[in-house]
Amino acid sequence: MSSITDYLLTGLITYGAPLFGVALMLGALGIPIPTSLLVIAAGAFSRQGMLSLLPAIGLGLLGTVMGDSLSFAMGRWGGNWVSRRFGGSSVWNSAQTTFNRNSRMAVFFTRFLLTAIALPVNLMAGSSCQFRRFFVTVIAGETIWILVYGGLGYLFGSQWELISKFLSDFGGLALGLAMLGGSIYYFMRKRKEMPVVL
Amino acid sequence: MNNTIPGSSKINRWVLVPLILGIVLTAVFGFRAVRSFAQVQLTSLKPGTTDVEAIRGWMTIPYISKMYCVPANYLYKQLNVPFAGNDQKSLAALNQEYFLGQPGAILPKIKDAIRSSKPACQNGTISP
Repeated sequence: MSSITDYLLTGLITYGAPLFGVALMLGALGIPIPTSLLVIAAGAFSRQGMLSLLPAIGLGLLGTVMGDSLSFAMGRWGGNWVSRRFGGSSVWNSAQTTFNRNSRMAVFFTRFLLTAIALPVNLMAGSSCQFRRFFVTVIAGETIWILVYGGLGYLFGSQWELISKFLSDFGGLALGLAMLGGSIYYFMRKRKEMPVVL
Repeated sequence: MNNTIPGSSKINRWVLVPLILGIVLTAVFGFRAVRSFAQVQLTSLKPGTTDVEAIRGWMTIPYISKMYCVPANYLYKQLNVPFAGNDQKSLAALNQEYFLGQPGAILPKIKDAIRSSKPACQNGTISP
């Protein structure tokens, strides 16, 4: 494990739920913190009696929703610049239209499954979505993330490191499959749209 | 006769990069996920069980004391480390401070201390 992870784990067993909430908020803002690992570890530490369960859930949820909302705000403010810079590009416009059509699903699933792309999704949502809809979806997705990942940590107790490794690999696999599926879908759609000149 | 699809090179450029990246990620993480899943299956997961090999540098003495049902004072004594001011320090920090930073010097000592102790837990609390 990296030293930043070690510091965070030591901090988690020493300072408890407040540090957990702050770490999740920073992670949601794009600072490279292994937040999923922390959630699993927090579940395990709760089981071991090192962390109070309800404050950890509450402050964790509060921190991560605050971080998501702040990154949404960054997308909203930065969105104008991005639109001026790339607004003329057909690829950008097409990506924006596709995102707008599926934004709620994108926001929801990137909370707990494709977490590696959660920040770009927040930024994009900030430039095009209503905050209220984003906020409700974020709360739903983050609640599932904290309860499922934390629950696994709680369930497996001292063996949480193995579960964390498996979930991390599974997340990478899900991202790979999503990219593969997305590019095949895009290719097939474009092929249908284009007239073939013989 | 021109049998190319107009604009196909443009499509290829936008599709090829995520396609290749998707294949690589799927292969690498698919293999790793299967391997770590097998590892989870092989290690009979018994919640609450503890093994001294699971001790890591980020752990603190109070945490280890609670996990392994060994009084913290006993562990500090075995390590020749004073209790005062060290209860929030990780093993890695204690190793740096009291074992001149020799990599991993503290780990065998604490494992031996736990192995040679008798569990002091009664109903989840440590007896003095």
